[in-house]
Amino acid sequence: MSLVRQSWLLAKNDLVQELRDLEMVMTAAFFTLVVLVMFALSFAALPAADQTLAVPGMLWLAIAFVGALTLTRIFDREREADTLRAVLTWPVDRVAIYFGKLGVTLLVVTGCGALLMPALALLFPAAEVFLERPLESATLLVLGCVAYCAVGTLFAAGLATASGKNVLLSVILYPLTSPALIFALVATRALLEGHPALTTYLGQLAALDAMLVALASWLFEPVLLGNVVKPVRSAPRRRPMKE
Amino acid sequence: MAIVPLQLQGLSKRFGRLVVLRGIELTVDAGEIVALLGANGCGKTTLLSIAAGLAPASTGACTWGDAADLDIEARRRLAFVAHSTQIYARLSARENLRLVAALRGDVGADPNIDRLIARVGLADAADRAAGMFSRGMQQRLAIARALLGAPELLLLDEPFTALDFAGRTLLGRLLLEERSRGAAILLTSHDLDAVAEVSDRAVLLADGRITAQASREGSESVVSFAERIRRLGTDTRTNAVQELAPHA
Repeated sequence: MSLVRQSWLLAKNDLVQELRDLEMVMTAAFFTLVVLVMFALSFAALPAADQTLAVPGMLWLAIAFVGALTLTRIFDREREADTLRAVLTWPVDRVAIYFGKLGVTLLVVTGCGALLMPALALLFPAAEVFLERPLESATLLVLGCVAYCAVGTLFAAGLATASGKNVLLSVILYPLTSPALIFALVATRALLEGHPALTTYLGQLAALDAMLVALASWLFEPVLLGNVVKPVRSAPRRRPMKE
Repeated sequence: MAIVPLQLQGLSKRFGRLVVLRGIELTVDAGEIVALLGANGCGKTTLLSIAAGLAPASTGACTWGDAADLDIEARRRLAFVAHSTQIYARLSARENLRLVAALRGDVGADPNIDRLIARVGLADAADRAAGMFSRGMQQRLAIARALLGAPELLLLDEPFTALDFAGRTLLGRLLLEERSRGAAILLTSHDLDAVAEVSDRAVLLADGRITAQASREGSESVVSFAERIRRLGTDTRTNAVQELAPHA
Protein backbone atom coordinates (compact mmCIF):
# COMPACT_ATOMS: atom_id res chain seq x y z
CA MET A 1 0.00 0.00 0.00
CA SER A 2 1.45 3.32 -1.04
CA LEU A 3 2.29 6.16 1.31
CA VAL A 4 -0.05 8.44 -0.59
CA ARG A 5 -2.98 6.07 -0.20
CA GLN A 6 -2.36 5.50 3.51
CA SER A 7 -2.03 9.26 4.07
CA TRP A 8 -5.27 9.81 2.22
CA LEU A 9 -7.08 7.13 4.24
CA LEU A 10 -5.94 8.65 7.53
CA ALA A 11 -6.82 12.17 6.40
CA LYS A 12 -10.20 10.95 5.16
CA ASN A 13 -10.77 9.30 8.56
CA ASP A 14 -10.24 12.66 10.27
CA LEU A 15 -12.42 14.48 7.76
CA VAL A 16 -15.27 11.98 8.12
CA GLN A 17 -15.15 12.37 11.89
CA GLU A 18 -15.00 16.13 11.59
CA LEU A 19 -18.03 16.22 9.29
CA ARG A 20 -20.01 14.33 11.95
CA ASP A 21 -19.80 17.22 14.42
CA LEU A 22 -17.95 20.08 12.68
CA GLU A 23 -16.31 20.93 15.98
CA MET A 24 -12.94 21.95 14.61
CA VAL A 25 -14.30 23.73 11.57
CA MET A 26 -16.86 25.72 13.55
CA THR A 27 -14.27 26.70 16.16
CA ALA A 28 -11.82 27.85 13.49
CA ALA A 29 -14.51 29.68 11.52
CA PHE A 30 -15.93 31.52 14.52
CA PHE A 31 -12.48 32.45 15.70
CA THR A 32 -11.70 33.84 12.25
CA LEU A 33 -14.87 35.92 12.31
CA VAL A 34 -14.16 37.28 15.78
CA VAL A 35 -10.63 38.22 14.78
CA LEU A 36 -11.93 39.95 11.66
CA VAL A 37 -14.41 42.00 13.64
CA MET A 38 -11.71 43.02 16.11
CA PHE A 39 -9.36 43.99 13.32
CA ALA A 40 -12.11 46.01 11.63
CA LEU A 41 -12.95 47.86 14.82
CA SER A 42 -9.31 48.49 15.68
CA PHE A 43 -7.77 49.37 12.34
CA ALA A 44 -10.55 50.53 10.01
CA ALA A 45 -9.53 54.16 10.39
CA LEU A 46 -5.92 53.56 9.41
CA PRO A 47 -4.62 55.50 6.38
CA ALA A 48 -4.15 53.39 3.26
CA ALA A 49 -0.36 53.43 3.51
CA ASP A 50 -0.51 52.08 7.06
CA GLN A 51 -3.05 49.45 6.04
CA THR A 52 -0.48 48.00 3.65
CA LEU A 53 1.78 47.47 6.65
CA ALA A 54 -0.94 46.22 8.99
CA VAL A 55 -2.94 43.84 6.77
CA PRO A 56 -0.18 41.23 6.33
CA GLY A 57 0.23 41.08 10.10
CA MET A 58 -3.51 40.70 10.60
CA LEU A 59 -3.68 37.89 8.06
CA TRP A 60 -0.80 35.82 9.38
CA LEU A 61 -1.57 36.46 13.03
CA ALA A 62 -5.07 35.15 12.52
CA ILE A 63 -3.77 32.15 10.57
CA ALA A 64 -1.23 31.41 13.30
CA PHE A 65 -3.91 31.37 16.00
CA VAL A 66 -6.34 29.34 13.90
CA GLY A 67 -3.54 26.92 13.14
CA ALA A 68 -2.71 26.47 16.81
CA LEU A 69 -6.38 25.90 17.61
CA THR A 70 -6.71 23.37 14.82
CA LEU A 71 -3.55 21.48 15.71
CA THR A 72 -4.53 21.35 19.35
CA ARG A 73 -7.96 20.03 18.53
CA ILE A 74 -6.90 17.52 15.90
CA PHE A 75 -4.52 15.83 18.30
CA ASP A 76 -6.72 16.30 21.37
CA ARG A 77 -9.18 13.96 19.77
CA GLU A 78 -6.45 11.36 19.30
CA ARG A 79 -5.16 11.86 22.83
CA GLU A 80 -8.60 11.52 24.43
CA ALA A 81 -9.27 8.20 22.72
CA ASP A 82 -5.61 7.08 22.63
CA THR A 83 -6.17 6.24 18.96
CA LEU A 84 -2.79 7.52 17.81
CA ARG A 85 -1.09 4.73 19.74
CA ALA A 86 -3.40 2.26 18.02
CA VAL A 87 -2.40 3.57 14.58
CA LEU A 88 1.25 3.19 15.54
CA THR A 89 0.77 -0.56 15.97
CA TRP A 90 -0.95 -1.00 12.59
CA PRO A 91 0.96 -1.84 9.39
CA VAL A 92 0.98 1.83 8.46
CA ASP A 93 3.94 3.86 7.35
CA ARG A 94 4.32 6.27 10.23
CA VAL A 95 5.09 9.12 7.91
CA ALA A 96 1.58 8.60 6.50
CA ILE A 97 0.27 9.70 9.89
CA TYR A 98 2.18 12.93 9.49
CA PHE A 99 0.95 13.60 5.98
CA GLY A 100 -2.62 12.71 6.91
CA LYS A 101 -2.65 15.17 9.80
CA LEU A 102 -0.84 17.78 7.75
CA GLY A 103 -3.43 17.50 5.01
CA VAL A 104 -6.37 17.99 7.34
CA THR A 105 -4.74 20.86 9.23
CA LEU A 106 -3.82 22.54 5.98
CA LEU A 107 -7.36 22.20 4.70
CA VAL A 108 -8.83 23.92 7.77
CA VAL A 109 -6.18 26.62 8.00
CA THR A 110 -6.19 27.52 4.31
CA GLY A 111 -9.98 27.44 4.41
CA CYS A 112 -9.92 30.09 7.12
CA GLY A 113 -7.31 32.01 5.17
CA ALA A 114 -9.58 31.85 2.14
CA LEU A 115 -12.28 33.52 4.27
CA LEU A 116 -9.87 36.05 5.70
CA MET A 117 -8.38 37.35 2.48
CA PRO A 118 -11.56 38.54 0.77
CA ALA A 119 -12.93 39.78 4.08
CA LEU A 120 -9.79 41.86 4.66
CA ALA A 121 -10.09 43.12 1.09
CA LEU A 122 -13.62 44.33 1.83
CA LEU A 123 -12.66 45.95 5.13
CA PHE A 124 -9.39 47.56 4.08
CA PRO A 125 -8.98 49.17 0.65
CA ALA A 126 -5.25 48.45 0.64
CA ALA A 127 -6.06 44.73 0.70
CA GLU A 128 -8.15 44.84 -2.49
CA VAL A 129 -5.08 43.43 -4.21
CA PHE A 130 -6.15 40.05 -2.79
CA LEU A 131 -9.19 40.19 -5.07
CA GLU A 132 -7.41 41.82 -7.99
CA ARG A 133 -4.66 39.19 -8.06
CA PRO A 134 -6.40 36.02 -6.88
CA LEU A 135 -3.87 33.56 -8.28
CA GLU A 136 -0.90 35.15 -6.53
CA SER A 137 -2.94 35.60 -3.36
CA ALA A 138 -4.04 31.95 -3.33
CA THR A 139 -0.50 30.75 -4.02
CA LEU A 140 0.89 32.88 -1.23
CA LEU A 141 -1.79 31.70 1.17
CA VAL A 142 -1.19 28.02 0.43
CA LEU A 143 2.59 28.28 0.55
CA GLY A 144 2.55 30.20 3.82
CA CYS A 145 0.10 27.78 5.42
CA VAL A 146 2.16 24.77 4.32
CA ALA A 147 5.23 26.19 6.04
CA TYR A 148 3.32 26.83 9.24
CA CYS A 149 1.44 23.53 9.28
CA ALA A 150 4.51 21.45 8.38
CA VAL A 151 6.24 22.50 11.58
CA GLY A 152 3.12 22.63 13.69
CA THR A 153 2.00 19.11 12.81
CA LEU A 154 5.36 17.68 13.83
CA PHE A 155 5.34 19.21 17.27
CA ALA A 156 1.66 18.72 17.92
CA ALA A 157 2.12 15.00 17.24
CA GLY A 158 5.09 14.85 19.57
CA LEU A 159 3.08 16.39 22.37
CA ALA A 160 0.09 14.17 21.67
CA THR A 161 1.91 11.03 22.74
CA ALA A 162 4.21 12.56 25.31
CA SER A 163 3.18 13.82 28.68
CA GLY A 164 3.23 17.41 27.48
CA LYS A 165 0.19 19.56 27.83
CA ASN A 166 -1.51 21.69 25.18
CA VAL A 167 0.08 24.84 26.53
CA LEU A 168 3.45 23.49 25.48
CA LEU A 169 2.30 23.50 21.88
CA SER A 170 1.90 27.27 21.92
CA VAL A 171 5.21 27.72 23.71
CA ILE A 172 7.01 25.58 21.16
CA LEU A 173 4.99 26.34 18.05
CA TYR A 174 5.15 30.12 17.79
CA PRO A 175 8.92 30.52 18.13
CA LEU A 176 9.58 27.73 15.65
CA THR A 177 7.09 28.90 13.06
CA SER A 178 7.94 32.60 13.39
CA PRO A 179 10.54 32.56 10.59
CA ALA A 180 8.04 31.01 8.18
CA LEU A 181 5.29 33.39 9.29
CA ILE A 182 7.57 36.41 8.96
CA PHE A 183 8.61 35.29 5.48
CA ALA A 184 4.96 34.90 4.49
CA LEU A 185 4.22 38.30 5.99
CA VAL A 186 6.99 39.96 3.97
CA ALA A 187 5.77 38.23 0.81
CA THR A 188 2.23 39.44 1.54
CA ARG A 189 3.44 43.01 1.88
CA ALA A 190 5.27 42.60 -1.42
CA LEU A 191 1.98 41.46 -2.98
CA LEU A 192 0.05 44.43 -1.58
CA GLU A 193 2.73 46.90 -2.69
CA GLY A 194 3.05 45.35 -6.13
CA HIS A 195 6.71 44.64 -5.49
CA PRO A 196 8.51 43.18 -8.55
CA ALA A 197 10.30 40.60 -6.36
CA LEU A 198 7.03 38.88 -5.44
CA THR A 199 7.70 35.94 -7.74
CA THR A 200 11.10 35.47 -6.13
CA TYR A 201 9.52 35.54 -2.67
CA LEU A 202 6.97 32.93 -3.72
CA GLY A 203 9.72 30.73 -5.15
CA GLN A 204 11.71 31.01 -1.94
CA LEU A 205 8.62 30.22 0.11
CA ALA A 206 8.00 27.13 -2.02
CA ALA A 207 11.60 26.01 -1.46
CA LEU A 208 11.19 26.62 2.28
CA ASP A 209 8.03 24.52 2.24
CA ALA A 210 9.80 21.66 0.51
CA MET A 211 12.62 21.74 3.08
CA LEU A 212 10.29 21.98 6.06
CA VAL A 213 8.02 19.18 4.89
CA ALA A 214 11.01 16.93 4.12
CA LEU A 215 12.65 17.67 7.47
CA ALA A 216 9.47 17.31 9.49
CA SER A 217 8.49 14.02 7.85
CA TRP A 218 12.00 12.68 8.51
CA LEU A 219 11.83 13.71 12.16
CA PHE A 220 8.26 12.57 12.67
CA GLU A 221 8.84 9.01 13.82
CA PRO A 222 11.67 9.82 16.25
CA VAL A 223 9.70 12.71 17.71
CA LEU A 224 6.65 10.51 18.05
CA LEU A 225 8.28 7.42 19.49
CA GLY A 226 11.71 8.33 20.79
CA ASN A 227 14.52 5.78 20.45
CA VAL A 228 13.62 2.36 19.10
CA VAL A 229 14.49 -0.98 20.69
CA LYS A 230 17.97 -2.05 19.56
CA PRO A 231 19.23 -5.62 19.81
CA VAL A 232 22.15 -6.07 22.23
CA ARG A 233 25.33 -7.69 20.95
CA SER A 234 25.61 -10.09 23.89
CA ALA A 235 23.51 -11.14 26.82
CA PRO A 236 24.03 -9.10 30.01
CA ARG A 237 26.15 -10.81 32.67
CA ARG A 238 24.43 -11.62 35.92
CA ARG A 239 25.97 -10.46 39.15
CA PRO A 240 26.09 -13.26 41.75
CA MET A 241 23.59 -12.69 44.56
CA LYS A 242 25.02 -12.07 48.07
CA GLU A 243 24.09 -14.71 50.64
CA MET B 1 14.47 -24.34 14.54
CA ALA B 2 11.02 -22.81 14.76
CA ILE B 3 10.88 -19.03 14.81
CA VAL B 4 9.51 -17.70 18.06
CA PRO B 5 6.83 -15.05 17.49
CA LEU B 6 7.95 -13.00 20.49
CA GLN B 7 11.24 -13.10 22.31
CA LEU B 8 12.41 -10.66 24.96
CA GLN B 9 16.07 -10.92 25.92
CA GLY B 10 17.59 -9.01 28.80
CA LEU B 11 14.94 -6.32 28.46
CA SER B 12 15.15 -3.44 30.86
CA LYS B 13 13.26 -0.19 31.06
CA ARG B 14 13.84 2.82 33.24
CA PHE B 15 12.08 6.14 33.48
CA GLY B 16 14.75 8.44 34.84
CA ARG B 17 15.85 6.86 38.09
CA LEU B 18 12.85 4.57 38.27
CA VAL B 19 13.69 1.09 37.01
CA VAL B 20 10.49 -0.59 35.90
CA LEU B 21 11.81 -3.69 34.15
CA ARG B 22 15.06 -5.50 34.85
CA GLY B 23 16.55 -8.13 32.59
CA ILE B 24 13.28 -9.62 31.37
CA GLU B 25 13.66 -12.93 29.57
CA LEU B 26 10.41 -14.11 28.04
CA THR B 27 9.34 -16.02 24.96
CA VAL B 28 5.88 -16.65 23.64
CA ASP B 29 5.63 -19.52 21.20
CA ALA B 30 3.17 -20.02 18.39
CA GLY B 31 0.01 -21.69 19.63
CA GLU B 32 0.67 -20.63 23.22
CA ILE B 33 -1.19 -18.29 25.57
CA VAL B 34 0.99 -16.69 28.22
CA ALA B 35 -0.53 -14.61 30.99
CA LEU B 36 1.54 -11.89 32.60
CA LEU B 37 0.49 -11.31 36.18
CA GLY B 38 1.57 -8.83 38.78
CA ALA B 39 0.54 -6.10 41.14
CA ASN B 40 -0.62 -2.70 39.94
CA GLY B 41 2.31 -0.68 38.71
CA CYS B 42 4.67 -3.62 38.38
CA GLY B 43 5.39 -2.97 34.68
CA LYS B 44 2.99 -5.26 32.82
CA THR B 45 1.67 -2.52 30.55
CA THR B 46 5.18 -1.17 30.02
CA LEU B 47 6.36 -4.60 28.93
CA LEU B 48 3.43 -4.98 26.54
CA SER B 49 4.03 -1.49 25.15
CA ILE B 50 7.63 -2.41 24.39
CA ALA B 51 6.50 -5.65 22.77
CA ALA B 52 4.01 -3.66 20.68
CA GLY B 53 6.73 -1.25 19.57
CA LEU B 54 5.15 1.70 21.31
CA ALA B 55 7.95 2.35 23.73
CA PRO B 56 11.68 1.85 23.47
CA ALA B 57 13.46 -0.41 25.91
CA SER B 58 16.41 1.04 27.79
CA THR B 59 18.50 -2.05 27.12
CA GLY B 60 17.93 -5.51 25.78
CA ALA B 61 16.43 -7.02 22.70
CA CYS B 62 12.97 -7.75 21.48
CA THR B 63 12.44 -9.84 18.37
CA TRP B 64 9.20 -10.50 16.57
CA GLY B 65 9.52 -13.73 14.66
CA ASP B 66 12.47 -13.25 12.35
CA ALA B 67 12.29 -9.45 12.62
CA ALA B 68 14.60 -7.49 14.87
CA ASP B 69 12.74 -4.29 14.09
CA LEU B 70 9.00 -3.84 14.17
CA ASP B 71 8.72 -2.61 10.61
CA ILE B 72 5.51 -2.46 8.60
CA GLU B 73 5.61 -6.12 7.62
CA ALA B 74 6.23 -7.21 11.21
CA ARG B 75 3.35 -5.01 12.39
CA ARG B 76 1.15 -6.71 9.83
CA ARG B 77 1.57 -9.93 11.82
CA LEU B 78 0.96 -8.31 15.20
CA ALA B 79 -2.13 -6.99 16.94
CA PHE B 80 -2.33 -5.06 20.18
CA VAL B 81 -5.39 -4.51 22.35
CA ALA B 82 -4.52 -1.81 24.85
CA HIS B 83 -6.08 -1.14 28.20
CA SER B 84 -8.04 1.73 26.69
CA THR B 85 -10.15 0.64 23.76
CA GLN B 86 -8.58 3.11 21.28
CA ILE B 87 -11.77 3.25 19.28
CA TYR B 88 -12.85 6.11 17.01
CA ALA B 89 -16.02 7.18 18.82
CA ARG B 90 -17.53 9.07 15.90
CA LEU B 91 -17.22 6.08 13.57
CA SER B 92 -19.49 3.06 13.65
CA ALA B 93 -18.16 -0.37 14.56
CA ARG B 94 -18.12 -1.31 10.89
CA GLU B 95 -16.31 1.88 9.93
CA ASN B 96 -13.69 1.34 12.62
CA LEU B 97 -12.93 -2.07 11.17
CA ARG B 98 -13.09 -0.87 7.56
CA LEU B 99 -10.48 1.75 8.31
CA VAL B 100 -7.99 -0.81 9.57
CA ALA B 101 -8.77 -3.21 6.74
CA ALA B 102 -8.23 -0.43 4.20
CA LEU B 103 -4.94 0.59 5.80
CA ARG B 104 -3.81 -3.03 5.71
CA GLY B 105 -4.63 -3.11 2.01
CA ASP B 106 -7.22 -5.86 2.47
CA VAL B 107 -9.36 -5.82 -0.65
CA GLY B 108 -12.94 -7.01 -0.33
CA ALA B 109 -12.74 -7.13 3.44
CA ASP B 110 -16.44 -6.51 4.11
CA PRO B 111 -17.47 -10.19 4.45
CA ASN B 112 -14.61 -10.76 6.89
CA ILE B 113 -15.62 -7.64 8.81
CA ASP B 114 -19.22 -8.80 9.03
CA ARG B 115 -18.04 -12.17 10.25
CA LEU B 116 -15.83 -10.62 12.92
CA ILE B 117 -18.55 -8.28 14.10
CA ALA B 118 -20.87 -11.26 14.48
CA ARG B 119 -18.11 -13.26 16.18
CA VAL B 120 -17.79 -10.66 18.95
CA GLY B 121 -21.54 -10.29 19.33
CA LEU B 122 -21.92 -6.79 17.89
CA ALA B 123 -23.98 -7.60 14.80
CA ASP B 124 -26.99 -5.62 16.05
CA ALA B 125 -24.88 -2.53 16.77
CA ALA B 126 -22.54 -2.66 13.79
CA ASP B 127 -23.72 0.62 12.27
CA ARG B 128 -24.10 2.55 15.50
CA ALA B 129 -21.46 5.12 16.47
CA ALA B 130 -18.89 3.40 18.66
CA GLY B 131 -19.06 6.32 21.09
CA MET B 132 -22.56 5.17 22.00
CA PHE B 133 -21.29 1.73 23.01
CA SER B 134 -20.83 0.62 26.57
CA ARG B 135 -17.26 0.02 27.72
CA GLY B 136 -17.74 -3.72 27.28
CA MET B 137 -19.02 -3.32 23.73
CA GLN B 138 -16.07 -1.09 22.88
CA GLN B 139 -13.78 -3.75 24.28
CA ARG B 140 -15.39 -6.33 22.01
CA LEU B 141 -14.90 -4.00 19.06
CA ALA B 142 -11.24 -3.54 19.97
CA ILE B 143 -10.82 -7.29 20.04
CA ALA B 144 -12.56 -7.68 16.68
CA ARG B 145 -10.22 -5.09 15.24
CA ALA B 146 -7.21 -6.98 16.58
CA LEU B 147 -8.39 -10.19 14.93
CA LEU B 148 -8.87 -8.55 11.51
CA GLY B 149 -5.59 -9.61 10.02
CA ALA B 150 -5.42 -13.07 11.66
CA PRO B 151 -2.32 -11.96 13.59
CA GLU B 152 0.52 -14.27 14.45
CA LEU B 153 1.16 -12.41 17.69
CA LEU B 154 -1.64 -11.04 19.81
CA LEU B 155 -0.86 -8.72 22.72
CA LEU B 156 -3.71 -7.91 25.09
CA ASP B 157 -3.63 -5.59 28.08
CA GLU B 158 -6.40 -6.45 30.55
CA PRO B 159 -8.71 -7.80 27.83
CA PHE B 160 -11.31 -9.06 30.28
CA THR B 161 -11.90 -5.55 31.65
CA ALA B 162 -15.50 -4.41 31.52
CA LEU B 163 -16.73 -7.63 29.95
CA ASP B 164 -19.82 -9.23 31.37
CA PHE B 165 -19.98 -12.98 31.95
CA ALA B 166 -21.07 -13.63 28.36
CA GLY B 167 -18.31 -11.37 27.09
CA ARG B 168 -15.70 -13.13 29.22
CA THR B 169 -16.83 -16.49 27.96
CA LEU B 170 -16.82 -15.20 24.39
CA LEU B 171 -13.33 -13.75 24.73
CA GLY B 172 -12.05 -16.96 26.27
CA ARG B 173 -13.43 -18.91 23.34
CA LEU B 174 -11.93 -16.46 20.85
CA LEU B 175 -8.51 -16.71 22.45
CA LEU B 176 -8.60 -20.49 22.39
CA GLU B 177 -9.65 -20.42 18.74
CA GLU B 178 -6.79 -18.07 17.93
CA ARG B 179 -4.40 -20.33 19.81
CA SER B 180 -5.63 -23.31 17.79
CA ARG B 181 -4.96 -21.29 14.65
CA GLY B 182 -1.36 -20.98 15.82
CA ALA B 183 -1.30 -17.45 17.19
CA ALA B 184 1.05 -16.57 20.01
CA ILE B 185 -0.82 -14.68 22.70
CA LEU B 186 0.54 -12.62 25.56
CA LEU B 187 -2.01 -11.07 27.87
CA THR B 188 -2.13 -9.33 31.20
CA SER B 189 -4.99 -9.66 33.59
CA HIS B 190 -5.99 -9.47 37.22
CA ASP B 191 -8.79 -11.95 36.57
CA LEU B 192 -7.07 -15.13 37.68
CA ASP B 193 -10.03 -17.38 36.92
CA ALA B 194 -10.18 -16.12 33.33
CA VAL B 195 -6.41 -16.51 33.07
CA ALA B 196 -6.60 -20.09 34.33
CA GLU B 197 -9.29 -20.93 31.80
CA VAL B 198 -7.32 -19.91 28.74
CA SER B 199 -3.60 -19.74 29.57
CA ASP B 200 -0.96 -22.35 29.02
CA ARG B 201 1.53 -20.51 31.18
CA ALA B 202 1.36 -17.73 33.72
CA VAL B 203 4.34 -15.62 34.74
CA LEU B 204 4.58 -13.25 37.66
CA LEU B 205 6.22 -9.88 37.33
CA ALA B 206 7.51 -8.42 40.57
CA ASP B 207 10.17 -5.84 41.33
CA GLY B 208 10.77 -5.52 37.59
CA ARG B 209 11.65 -9.15 37.13
CA ILE B 210 9.87 -12.35 36.22
CA THR B 211 10.06 -14.12 39.54
CA ALA B 212 7.77 -17.08 39.15
CA GLN B 213 5.88 -18.99 36.56
CA ALA B 214 3.39 -21.81 36.38
CA SER B 215 2.69 -23.97 33.37
CA ARG B 216 -0.46 -25.92 32.87
CA GLU B 217 0.35 -29.59 33.11
CA GLY B 218 -1.29 -32.05 30.76
CA SER B 219 -4.99 -32.23 31.50
CA GLU B 220 -4.72 -30.16 34.68
CA SER B 221 -8.06 -28.70 35.63
CA VAL B 222 -8.81 -25.02 35.49
CA VAL B 223 -9.43 -24.96 39.24
CA SER B 224 -6.08 -26.57 40.01
CA PHE B 225 -4.22 -24.27 37.65
CA ALA B 226 -5.99 -21.21 39.08
CA GLU B 227 -5.01 -22.29 42.57
CA ARG B 228 -1.38 -22.64 41.57
CA ILE B 229 -1.47 -19.24 39.91
CA ARG B 230 -2.78 -17.79 43.14
CA ARG B 231 0.17 -19.27 44.95
CA LEU B 232 2.76 -17.83 42.56
CA GLY B 233 5.43 -16.41 44.78
CA THR B 234 8.86 -14.97 44.76
CA ASP B 235 11.94 -16.53 46.22
CA THR B 236 14.07 -13.45 46.83
CA ARG B 237 17.05 -15.44 48.07
CA THR B 238 18.04 -16.38 44.56
CA ASN B 239 17.45 -15.12 41.07
CA ALA B 240 15.75 -18.36 40.19
CA VAL B 241 12.24 -18.15 38.88
CA GLN B 242 10.11 -20.22 41.11
CA GLU B 243 8.26 -22.94 39.24
CA LEU B 244 5.23 -24.17 41.02
CA ALA B 245 4.60 -27.82 40.37
CA PRO B 246 1.08 -29.16 40.27
CA HIS B 247 -0.23 -30.93 43.30
CA ALA B 248 0.43 -34.66 43.31
